Amino acid sequence: MEEVVRQHYTDKEKREIFDHEFLPHINSMYNFGYRLTLDRDDAKDLVQDTYFKAFRFIESFQKGTNAKAWLFRILKNSFINDYRKKVKEPNKVDYQEVEQYYNSEDVDRQITPDLRVDALKDMIGDEISNALNALDVDFRTVIILCDLEGFKYEEMAKILDIPIGTVRSRLHRARQLLKEKLSEYAKSMGYKNS
Amino acid sequence: MNLPTNPFVSNDGKKPTCMEMLQLILDGQDSQEQREYFKNHMDNCMPCFKGYHVDMTIKELLKSKCCGGEAPDELVAKIKSQIASTIS
Repeated sequence: MEEVVRQHYTDKEKREIFDHEFLPHINSMYNFGYRLTLDRDDAKDLVQDTYFKAFRFIESFQKGTNAKAWLFRILKNSFINDYRKKVKEPNKVDYQEVEQYYNSEDVDRQITPDLRVDALKDMIGDEISNALNALDVDFRTVIILCDLEGFKYEEMAKILDIPIGTVRSRLHRARQLLKEKLSEYAKSMGYKNS
Repeated sequence: MNLPTNPFVSNDGKKPTCMEMLQLILDGQDSQEQREYFKNHMDNCMPCFKGYHVDMTIKELLKSKCCGGEAPDELVAKIKSQIASTIS
């Protein structure tokens, strides 16, 4: 873990950082909160709590560095520590098992669902959003960070507190699962062999 | 015959799988050299060719369908006033 160097800011500086570096990410933060909790009100609470914490701990943020990644990390931690405890404990996936499986030789023999581009292009409704929301939250998270928000693997590793190798394997597995869902939709839309 | 050196091979000499190469390309975490190598590779590897287009389409769909949307105004207002009262 990186060492946190405490900064010293005046109230005016704090305000500037908050307004110009933190607040511009509010829409992404809200979307992240919503995609994690799948509830608009919970998302609001989570985002509000995150911004409050960000302000309280603003002196551990170095001005001009990656504010978005910093905020996402706080939100993710709040979600795990506060939200998940309040709501019923969801069924946890045993990652060790998942990741061991991924790292085994068998993975290349695994059959990837045969999806076609034209079937995907016809998914103009909520299919993709529903497929994403149906994933287990830890798989959903890596897709949100990478594909929706464009974070790099290294940033994701810091946000999630996991090694880069784990980011990559989890992302791979998440995409496999997403494709399985999408290929079910494609079948129901009448695409054969897809 | 000398095959072109694979720029995806890691320092410890481990050869990457197609899936590993594809993932780096897809997520834009490749180098220029790797990108060129992969373009050639794709011409001769059907699973990579298909996988690339399907995965890219999904990535674009995710971005266009699951992003966007604005945080509610009342939430933004609430956060701002909370911070203002903290500083005051």
